[in-house]
Amino acid sequence: MKFTLKIWRQQGPDDKGRFVTYQAHEVSPDMSFLEMLDSVNQGLIVKGEEPVAFEHDCREGICGSCSLVINGVPHGPERGIATCQLYMRRFSDGATITIEPWRARAFPIIKDLVVDRRALDRVMQAGGYISVNTGGAVDGNVVLIGKDQAETAMDAASCIGCGACVAACKNASAMLFVAAKVSHLASLPQGKPERTRRVTAMMEAMDREGFGACGNQYECEAVCPKSISVRFIATLNREYLRAGVVESGAPTVPEAPHAESD
Amino acid sequence: MTTLDSKVPSGPLETKWDRHRFSEKLVSPNNKRRIKIIVVGTGLAGASAASTLGQLGYEVECFCFQDSPRRAHSIAAQGGINAAKNYQDDGDSVARLFYDTIKGGDFRSREANVYRLAQVSTQIIDQCVALGVPFAREYGGQLANRSFGGVQVSRTFYCRGQTGQQLLLGAYSALCWQIERGQVTMRPRTEMLDLIVVDGHARGIVVRDLVSGHVTAHTAHAVVLATGGYSNVYYLSTNASGSNVTATYRAWKQGAAFANPSFTQIHPTAIPPSETHQAKLTLMSESLRNDGRLWVPKVPSGRRPPNDIPSSERDYFLERRYPQFGNLVPRDVASRAVKTLCDEGRGVGPGGHGVYLDFTDVIEQQGLDVVRERYGNLFDMYQRITGEDAYRVPMRIYPAPHYTMGGLWVDYNLMSTIPGLFVIGEANFADHGANRLGASSLMQGLADGYFILPYTIGHYLATTKITPIAEYHRESREALERVASRVTKLLGGQGRRTAASFHREVGRILWDHCGMARCEGGLKRTLQSIPALREEFWRDVAVPGSGETFNQELEYAGRVADFLEFAELICHDALHREESCGAHFREEHQTPDGEPKRDDTRFSHVAAWEYRENGPPILHKEPLTFEFVQPTARSYE
Amino acid sequence: MASGETAVSSCKNRGMMRLFNHFQTSLDSKVVVALTGLGLAGFVVFHMLGNLQVFEGAEALNSYAAFLRDMPILLWTTRLGLLSIVALHIGLAIQLTLHNRRARPVAYAVREYRKASLASRTMAVTGSVLLLFIVFHLLHLTAGVVDTSFPDRLDLQGHRDVYGKVVHAFRNPLFVALYLAGQFVLGLHLSHAVSSSLQTLGFEHAALNRLFKAAGPVIALLVVLGNMAIILAVFLGVVRT
Repeated sequence: MKFTLKIWRQQGPDDKGRFVTYQAHEVSPDMSFLEMLDSVNQGLIVKGEEPVAFEHDCREGICGSCSLVINGVPHGPERGIATCQLYMRRFSDGATITIEPWRARAFPIIKDLVVDRRALDRVMQAGGYISVNTGGAVDGNVVLIGKDQAETAMDAASCIGCGACVAACKNASAMLFVAAKVSHLASLPQGKPERTRRVTAMMEAMDREGFGACGNQYECEAVCPKSISVRFIATLNREYLRAGVVESGAPTVPEAPHAESD
Repeated sequence: MTTLDSKVPSGPLETKWDRHRFSEKLVSPNNKRRIKIIVVGTGLAGASAASTLGQLGYEVECFCFQDSPRRAHSIAAQGGINAAKNYQDDGDSVARLFYDTIKGGDFRSREANVYRLAQVSTQIIDQCVALGVPFAREYGGQLANRSFGGVQVSRTFYCRGQTGQQLLLGAYSALCWQIERGQVTMRPRTEMLDLIVVDGHARGIVVRDLVSGHVTAHTAHAVVLATGGYSNVYYLSTNASGSNVTATYRAWKQGAAFANPSFTQIHPTAIPPSETHQAKLTLMSESLRNDGRLWVPKVPSGRRPPNDIPSSERDYFLERRYPQFGNLVPRDVASRAVKTLCDEGRGVGPGGHGVYLDFTDVIEQQGLDVVRERYGNLFDMYQRITGEDAYRVPMRIYPAPHYTMGGLWVDYNLMSTIPGLFVIGEANFADHGANRLGASSLMQGLADGYFILPYTIGHYLATTKITPIAEYHRESREALERVASRVTKLLGGQGRRTAASFHREVGRILWDHCGMARCEGGLKRTLQSIPALREEFWRDVAVPGSGETFNQELEYAGRVADFLEFAELICHDALHREESCGAHFREEHQTPDGEPKRDDTRFSHVAAWEYRENGPPILHKEPLTFEFVQPTARSYE
Repeated sequence: MASGETAVSSCKNRGMMRLFNHFQTSLDSKVVVALTGLGLAGFVVFHMLGNLQVFEGAEALNSYAAFLRDMPILLWTTRLGLLSIVALHIGLAIQLTLHNRRARPVAYAVREYRKASLASRTMAVTGSVLLLFIVFHLLHLTAGVVDTSFPDRLDLQGHRDVYGKVVHAFRNPLFVALYLAGQFVLGLHLSHAVSSSLQTLGFEHAALNRLFKAAGPVIALLVVLGNMAIILAVFLGVVRT
């Protein structure tokens, strides 16, 4: 098979960037999309040109590194997979394929197709955790969690943090990402004590990082490699509204006694 | 001169760890905040260690080469995590998990370490539940278990097929908390390229910022390496494309002993390579062997479709050779059997790299729906990659390098032969001996990071006088220069070959001669061909771009350069070990019917290799003594 | 431990701030847009139901209009209330749209939608058109300044002849076309708006999700059909003076 590739090249964040056209020859239908790019890059290196920078690591759809917008769709034409799980047999021979990076203000381009997604980490740092110390946890079976509840938590927790939801969203919103984390923790008893603070802090962080607001268009769900449901966005909204009510009416939190002068 | 003192506490096995913890000196809370610890790597071991150390009050600086700590390769582990909870009341116990692990490792690991691992395994589950890891549950709300990897008890905890992901996200969230608190400074997209050793103590690292290209020195009171395994030395492996040996290898060159580097686990059920551009092998869960039957045609039948081959012309080779265990023999046994057949030219599929894994019988007996429910996602994955429908045509599978039991040598405190350099997770050699049991890698990574290192590192810090050093200290400058000159050298060539082509070549050589079966002749030839390949690499490698920008090819070429040196160390180790044990199979040492022959009189030791600048590495032996279990032959017939 | 506790104790302050200044995050704004939007949707439904009285003849409609006008306090409260709701709805929607535009400064060269409906992608446009249409509608049928060819007159009961005005208006093909276009835009906007608002307000329930999803299109359809029935009935001569 052979393909014409229109690939976004950009030296760095300050460069304007442009499309460059490459020809991919002798592509086997059994090649993955990334292997096809590998082979294009091998050709460029031998010619002394700089290869196309793109992100990849596990190549089995779980690390969330790969991040290509292929013909206008994050992770390409197939549903429920990451770019690395896309195979060339999905394309027709001789096709022209346009490859762009995730585009969002919160994801500045580092080079070519590689973007900086640390904004997602910072949203997590704002509250995407349960603050328990290592050690001293009670036995895992002390708190019973119904199977359905555990399954719901797992549905939400399967997010791989790739940012395709942001890339697909008209508003470059990270709502599905935040919703997945908030819903995962809010649906487990262990996550309940901090649910109020968590949801408020994460939502504020999302705004601070420059993501847009949700338009309820659900493009995110359609491109999510783990097909995470937008019903978690409703859960997030509900958690947020609940937090607003709880926060404004809550009695003052007494200062916890300090064990040390820290 | 390296000395190996395992520092295993004396006394009864069951109380070693407790007594050891009590005898350890503690660091006072006020002093902790003045102590800085560097953690390299953010997989299960690194993330759990960094978060726990931060929580204890140390100042932690944590590095990873990925764009986020959450992407470390622990994320890809599918199956589960073992723990001796005995929730199923099926006879499990700390002692049994200990024994299974020691025996599975073919009696090439330390008793005390393995026992401790089994002991803390139960705490790991509790900790993970508290962190919000959504483990599978029963209808009644209790934690669910499954049996895994051929053991007789159900002790594996799991989150669908994404256990590694969920455990890592748990550790990552703990890390996020400590970052938010300011206890941990996280430096993603930063790769460790050298170790700074001052007066014999590990005092820092040299890193390259992968975005700006800046090379900087970072000093601390102690350094923790949690940089994972090196299966990627084989080029095609189940590892992530970024996984590499550079951090541990550079530490080796600075004096840390490397133990058992040749112990590499080859996983039997990966999807076979289909063409030369293939960049990785995808693992299919081991559970497929519960219902699938492995076979090849009795006589090579070319392109004949498998469904046209009558059962009388099929060789169900595992069932034939191991009637007791059949298709469920341990990973190394299955892998070797597959390789032997393929080497005889009886393999199927492109290049003859593969055997059939056939579900026809179970579909006939139990129905399509049962199979679909049990393995649906795996069959889908197989179809996506190969384009074949495994419900109708047998799958093809082939072994793939998966996990490296070898790693930097550490004592009972997880400290390497360089004081102040601690090594945890897959990066060390400690607990799995010559072969790792399924669902044990996640257990070890978290045991080291959450529950062992945070204690043992405290003792080192409390008992060692560590004077502050400046970042431009002489040793730092030297390390910086080493890194800078190497970057320059990589970029300076006018070569015409890509780093990947060298990687593929060294991987091929290792796979052929130091893979599932090794022999003296092959290893000796390899030890000659690798230096030649390395020379060609430095003469002819093409690395475009500059060092001052984001340059993935430069990163990659540097890792390949290290693999090209490290491959030799693997072969030295494999050559010295004139026995077959676990994943290490020497063709000279087998029974007449092809079973591995262990040699406990000569090789009941850990082989720890010391770097020597000019000349082959120096071998040190840590004898393994078994006080509590009796080494027996691992037989599956 | 210090940072953890600071964060907890600041919770209360943040809550108070949110109570008084409800626009701390974009989600706060969205919630207000959703609430005001649902209010306006409710108004549109009642507006349509009230106007359906045109089918009962001049007397019914005119006395309904007179009934509304006879309570000036209620009428003006409602009008001012609606106006402020509209202002809030539009103001925040504009603010959100600008916020959202900023979130993607560089557009994709190629864009393919997988799921987003036409309605959801054109909310800003339909909203703006709708605003123009409402202004026109108020000038036309409420203030009566667009078309002065119909004199403000009283009916036999002494009520203002709203009925006559409506019938006069929808005899004119130009107005019919304008109003039908307005209905199309209104329907498009509502079809996404109602379900979207429910989602924003956190309506999520395994058994009821289909209902929440259907609410928007169904309400939009009813409103549009009801309104169109009036317009077309007049135009086709089913309803006449």
